[in-house]
Amino acid sequence: MPSDEGLLDRFVDWLPKNPLFKRVASRTLVPFWAWWTPVKPLPGGPHPSFQHGDNVQCMMNLIMPLKIKSPIGRAEAALAIAQNKDAIYAGLNNVGTVHFARFVIVGDNICMFSVYDGDFTNYIRDFIATIGSVFNAVVELTEGGDDVIPCEENVEAFIQWVHERDLYQVPDTATDFLRDQEALNGDRAASGNDDLTLLPRKMVLQLRANANVSLGSGYRAYPGFSVAQVRKQLGIGW
Amino acid sequence: MVDASVAKRLVQTIIDNLPEPVPGRRPVHTIGMGVKGKFVASDVARTYCIAEHFDGQSVSVSVRFSNGLGGLEQHDGWSDVRGMATRFHLPDGTASDLIATTLGEFFVRNVDDFFEFAKVAKLEPYRRRPWWLKLLDILQLKVPPRDPYPNETRNVDAGALCYANRHRFAQLGVFQVSLIGAPVSYARASYHAVHTFMVTAPDGVRRPVRFSWQPVAGVRNTELMEVPCDKYLRKELEDRLRRWPARFMLMMTIGEAGDALDDPTRPWPGTRIRVAMGTLTLTEVPEDQEAAGERISFNPCRLAPGIEVSGDPILEARLGAYEVSREMRGGCPFRFR
Repeated sequence: MPSDEGLLDRFVDWLPKNPLFKRVASRTLVPFWAWWTPVKPLPGGPHPSFQHGDNVQCMMNLIMPLKIKSPIGRAEAALAIAQNKDAIYAGLNNVGTVHFARFVIVGDNICMFSVYDGDFTNYIRDFIATIGSVFNAVVELTEGGDDVIPCEENVEAFIQWVHERDLYQVPDTATDFLRDQEALNGDRAASGNDDLTLLPRKMVLQLRANANVSLGSGYRAYPGFSVAQVRKQLGIGW
Repeated sequence: MVDASVAKRLVQTIIDNLPEPVPGRRPVHTIGMGVKGKFVASDVARTYCIAEHFDGQSVSVSVRFSNGLGGLEQHDGWSDVRGMATRFHLPDGTASDLIATTLGEFFVRNVDDFFEFAKVAKLEPYRRRPWWLKLLDILQLKVPPRDPYPNETRNVDAGALCYANRHRFAQLGVFQVSLIGAPVSYARASYHAVHTFMVTAPDGVRRPVRFSWQPVAGVRNTELMEVPCDKYLRKELEDRLRRWPARFMLMMTIGEAGDALDDPTRPWPGTRIRVAMGTLTLTEVPEDQEAAGERISFNPCRLAPGIEVSGDPILEARLGAYEVSREMRGGCPFRFR
């Protein structure tokens, strides 16, 4: 920006934008710092809270890598969803706490994204009770799925399996992400001897540990309202 | 109530950290512009708050937009917190003020924190970081500090960072300031009142709330890497309002049990109920800027019946500090009720 900069200044300013440097840094600097300052993966799902607003319109972002990583594997997953459309709709209507739910194939992953009210474990438990067979059909196509099906007979293990595949939800504010890292390491101090300039590195290393994440808690047009409240207000009943 | 001597110390502390005193002007947010407009409440606003400006009738409004820096040097294009002070002129001749900035959260919790912050975050010489130190930053996967703007020789960045490193509550505010940038227009930024207020509904229910102005034109900042322009915000808004009014939506977020009511450093989750309270339409930049902006004395605690302060100690301290500042610069007194 200012004009008194020399050649080396310009070079160093340009360096982080250079794709080649980014590739080299990803293969050298990132592994080095990950080894030197290890970072644990952060758990997925919404942050625990007793407050009403935090327990409605919760997000689940489930990423399940397919066993067969090819168009055939993806087609099998698509077919499993298509064959169970009625069961999925009936299950969603019966559970009654789901705002939106959808299955998406991204690369060689089958993903389930949903917005639901209430506790995560109860949400999955309700689904097992109503559409356990659909979960079985999908999960058997995914890596590690065989260990937890039939889900009706492995309820707790299945819930844990789902939780482990639910994405870490990066907080809306960048510094709260640091608080999540501290909490995971048992550091709950109000103040420390921190170095805020390390935030970019901490973010890089966290995204190495949690390669897929949900960014922020998500935008809501009508935050704080449950499915039941919205349906009641609209007069469309159950 | 914060005693008068503390209010004076607060203002003096701010003045002492200025590059040079500016008698007769605001010690911070010195450069600004007054704008006139109207506010019309939404049809649901009155069900949440009995304050007169939320009853649905059109209320005339005075707004002063400002750059956060103290002093007479104008640097519109520098990364800086912007202010939007709004006065709702009520039909009975009284007023209700709402003071907001582009900073979502404050960096201190109370007056004692502020004095400590002011001790640490002093104006210090600011120079370009040498290339070898920048390279060292990059190798450590850090982002090097930005280069100084043209004519920027001192700032408080190093002290503010030092304070934030020692106090986790300050980190969000300080981090946000470091990335805040410069808006392409005063009408293209979101402004947050930061503090919690208590509003009373017609049925007597009192709710903790936080207010934000959301620009209808959308949020947009200037390009970070471009050489910043020192003077453009006033002309841009004048030109904009000559063509078409600028609008802001007033959004009110309702807090829940457990949310920080007395701590402006702590954000509320985005999952809280958010009510559209009304629309502000800005129409005119008056020629007499002394009357329209400079002489008006806003105060975040000047509130219409139906809105009250919370227990936020910073909000309480601002009541006295704004009055001290007004007296020092000879601003127009205005009755509270």
